[in-house]
Amino acid sequence: MHIVREVTDHLYWIGANDHRLTLFENIHPIPEGVSYNAYVLLDKQTVLFDTVDWDACRQMMENLEYVLDGRALDVVVVNHWEPDHAASLQVVLDRYPKARIVSTEKGFMLMEQFGFRTEGHEIVKVGDGDTMSFGDHTVAFLTAPMVHWPEAMVTLDVTNGALFSADAFGSFKANDGKLFADEVNYDRDWIDENRRYLTNIVGKYGPHILKLIGKAAPHLSEIRYICPLHGLVWRKNIDYLLDKYRHWATYEPEENGVMIVYASMYGGTEQAAQALASKLAERGVTNLVVHDVSNTHVSYLIADVFRFSHVVLASVTYNLGIFPPMLNFLEDMKALNVQNRTFALIENGSWAVMSGDLMYRFLDEEMKQITVLNERLTIASHLKEGAKDELDLLADSIVDSVRSAQN
Amino acid sequence: MLFRCSEAQEKLREEIREFAEKEVKPYAFQWDRDNAFPREVVKKMGERGWMGIPYPKEYGGAGLDVISYAIAVEELSRVDGGTGVILSAHTSLGSWPIFGFGTEEQKKKYLVPLAKGEKIGAFGLTEPNAGSDAGGTETTAVAEGDHYILNGEKIFITNGGEADIYVVFAVTTPGIGTKGISAFIVEKGWEGFTFGDHYDKLGIRSSATAQLLFNDVKVPKENLLGREGQGFKIAMATLDGGRIGIASQALGIAQGAYESCKTYALDRVQFHKPVAFQQAISFKIADMATEIRAARMLVYSAAEMKQNHEPYSMEAAMAKQFASDVAIRVTQEAVQVYGGNGYLKGMDVERMYRDAKITQIYEGTNEIMRVVIASHLLGKPPKSETPVMAGQAPKNITGPRKKIIYKKGSAQEKVDALVASLKADGYDFTTGIPIDTPITQAERVVSAGQGIGSKENMKLIEELAAAAGAAIGSSRPVAETLQYVPIDRFVGMSGQKFHGNLYIACGISGAVQHLKGIIDAGTIVAVNINPNAPIFKNCDYGIVGDVNEILPLLTAALDTGEKKPAPPMKKVRRPTPKKEKPDYKVMVCDGCGYEYDPMKGDPEADIAPGTPFDQLPEDWVCPKCAEPKKHFYEA
Repeated sequence: MHIVREVTDHLYWIGANDHRLTLFENIHPIPEGVSYNAYVLLDKQTVLFDTVDWDACRQMMENLEYVLDGRALDVVVVNHWEPDHAASLQVVLDRYPKARIVSTEKGFMLMEQFGFRTEGHEIVKVGDGDTMSFGDHTVAFLTAPMVHWPEAMVTLDVTNGALFSADAFGSFKANDGKLFADEVNYDRDWIDENRRYLTNIVGKYGPHILKLIGKAAPHLSEIRYICPLHGLVWRKNIDYLLDKYRHWATYEPEENGVMIVYASMYGGTEQAAQALASKLAERGVTNLVVHDVSNTHVSYLIADVFRFSHVVLASVTYNLGIFPPMLNFLEDMKALNVQNRTFALIENGSWAVMSGDLMYRFLDEEMKQITVLNERLTIASHLKEGAKDELDLLADSIVDSVRSAQN
Repeated sequence: MLFRCSEAQEKLREEIREFAEKEVKPYAFQWDRDNAFPREVVKKMGERGWMGIPYPKEYGGAGLDVISYAIAVEELSRVDGGTGVILSAHTSLGSWPIFGFGTEEQKKKYLVPLAKGEKIGAFGLTEPNAGSDAGGTETTAVAEGDHYILNGEKIFITNGGEADIYVVFAVTTPGIGTKGISAFIVEKGWEGFTFGDHYDKLGIRSSATAQLLFNDVKVPKENLLGREGQGFKIAMATLDGGRIGIASQALGIAQGAYESCKTYALDRVQFHKPVAFQQAISFKIADMATEIRAARMLVYSAAEMKQNHEPYSMEAAMAKQFASDVAIRVTQEAVQVYGGNGYLKGMDVERMYRDAKITQIYEGTNEIMRVVIASHLLGKPPKSETPVMAGQAPKNITGPRKKIIYKKGSAQEKVDALVASLKADGYDFTTGIPIDTPITQAERVVSAGQGIGSKENMKLIEELAAAAGAAIGSSRPVAETLQYVPIDRFVGMSGQKFHGNLYIACGISGAVQHLKGIIDAGTIVAVNINPNAPIFKNCDYGIVGDVNEILPLLTAALDTGEKKPAPPMKKVRRPTPKKEKPDYKVMVCDGCGYEYDPMKGDPEADIAPGTPFDQLPEDWVCPKCAEPKKHFYEA
């Protein structure tokens, strides 16, 4: 049975939703699923924009055949060769032996590497600014290197204003029947998963996102639809999303607020984290979240780091080092280029407290533009009542810093 | 080919030798003893045209060749190594960079009076953390409008204090190593440019050697020598030439010692004949003459190459290294030939023995000479070690601090500003702690360093401690060596650690081990006469001034009569400075997202740390994905 939705005249979404996959890229949990989006344009020629993951191939083929309604497929535009989108290409090529393949030079290199069989298919290499007409519709290609793979490009249909944006503007979470972002309460139900997708998958490549946005700037007024490869299609309020992207790509926090991440073995450090949270809220800083690093997948931590201006790391000392899940979080922040944040530290240890100095050194030397507040709470095993002044001092320092960031 | 100097060169040698015998030799002992700089002699040399021998007549020079210059240094050094190096440092180091890299205006303004001998020149490169490795340069020059602001210190500067014109090297672009260093012409007498103590040296005591101190010295933009970032190149080119001067000095010292001991050996009779005819002594004399001849060939040959604009860097290094080693061997044996007499003050060989040693050390140690020579012979080593970046400010030992230094205004104004800041930070001076509170428990400490001077001045510390409601502490030498306070009062890594709020360091320069003892301090206040003392880089508030003047004023400002007992200590919060973006460009690869960080370079492609992206070779490719250079853009 086909499951198809019309984006606009002659343009159809023929993707699929996936709730069975546990880990996206075999690393990020997706409890709310994910969609793989492919699109078909019916013009004088028929054009398919990207395909779907192998698991969703059958659904997409049923959709494709339904939309083509007996016509042959003339063109496949491959914007992105990552297998969650390109894996089903082989089946499409086998089914439509005359289809031309359009992609970038690097895209075709990846095509070879992944082992696609393309005998009999015309290969059309395109580069920045190249255009192609399918009858009534003309598309222009813009390369988008390192958003988030080197071969990526985006395709703009200048006739109807549809931008096939590859992984840019994508999101976790299955569409489940909806197609357009304006069909959901995005800010309530979607933005968190959108942020988690973008920051974890493309977070490292902020400068490349900015470059792509810069390249697309002259065409912004022509864009009517943003059609990403995951998540919902945008046709209204595109500025909302662009504003989020500008924050993420420039590593500027979205909100003044505090995220506390603790690593606690027996609850001592957890207690300190909770005590601090209480002090902060008492002082009016209520835009505040607390995460247990051992029980929270790091992709959620990364998403919140991109969101908040302030981060408190509270870690026990483990084998004279940083507690491994906390170290993993630090490494992930470094890998994803997290910068321009203010951190505060809580360290714990029962005989040789090391974690504070080690976390400080990591933040200061391994990462970019991370300010670490002077006040640090040091705990020997358990936070005693006598440490109240120190805790107050830390809370005051964080509150002052949050407030001054607001001004 | 006949290895012989021209008639003109030999005539010059005769003139200078006559001058040296008459004007220098008779006084050399006295200058050595008194550390006296022979200003009159320098003036006379200028009048004779010897202060600018190798420079064209149009720039006030004598228009002679480099060998003539080498001969001049050699002949002066033959009687006094100190006088020799005055000429060498003036001509090779102070004047040459202006001749080689100066604009026409700079040459007219500075080279002409230098070459005429109306002014004396000097060269400021060496720093406490930048000896053989100029990449460690910490003196900074920050562009501000139509001038640069120079800050920092230079050490071991020949002609320092006596010279009128200084070529000084400073970092203009921090973080990119030697490529961020620029050269400046600085005049004596400019505001903020002062001299530290005259060094008390082993030898060459008639030459002046001093520390140069730059404290917000305004250098007009037109005094930038060459281009920004060219400083290291200028310094290295200058030192190549300077080495011919030092080689000539070493040669002269050896020649003088040789002649002196030969005369003595022919005169001194033992076993019924002059000792010169004892085989043991005659062989020494034979060896000396042989080595001196070899050294002379090397020196003149390097000079000849420079004169003819051939690459001479390696040959100059060889000449300097060999001639200085010869000077050491010859002077040592010369003292030996003299026996017990040579060991006495007043004997020229005794002085020459001491004078010779420096020639193995300065303008590049002989170890560095071998590095230079080997690099010419062998090329670059396969893997370079990571150098410390120039201008990369060493991390503050005491952590981030406000570093507000009160330099301007009267002493009273500085003190008032300091007290106002302390009160604004929440310090209440109506309360206080007993003066003998243990350091580790004290909320406030007033601490004395060696800069406090004589023991009577400890009264100033006691009075200030009482007024500030603080306990008394000290630096290690004040407790251990001077014994002004008991040993348990000294603050430092190896002594007591201060965990309180307010630490007032008086006359403490800020040795590392001391600073490590005050890392936890809420607020560090420094009072010191030397604006470049490390304590100022590690304090929140500082007053540059004399403790004798500042402390009584501070005491008066804080004095509130009887102090109320202080409440239990509440730790004061210190503001954290925001960590800013580095001031160099990071470029990112379109093929893989790799970032080229100039601080790291690309060691596998032989790109040294400190290399800016635009200076990478055109055929350089991304080390991760082989994308060409043009597919990089600014992150």
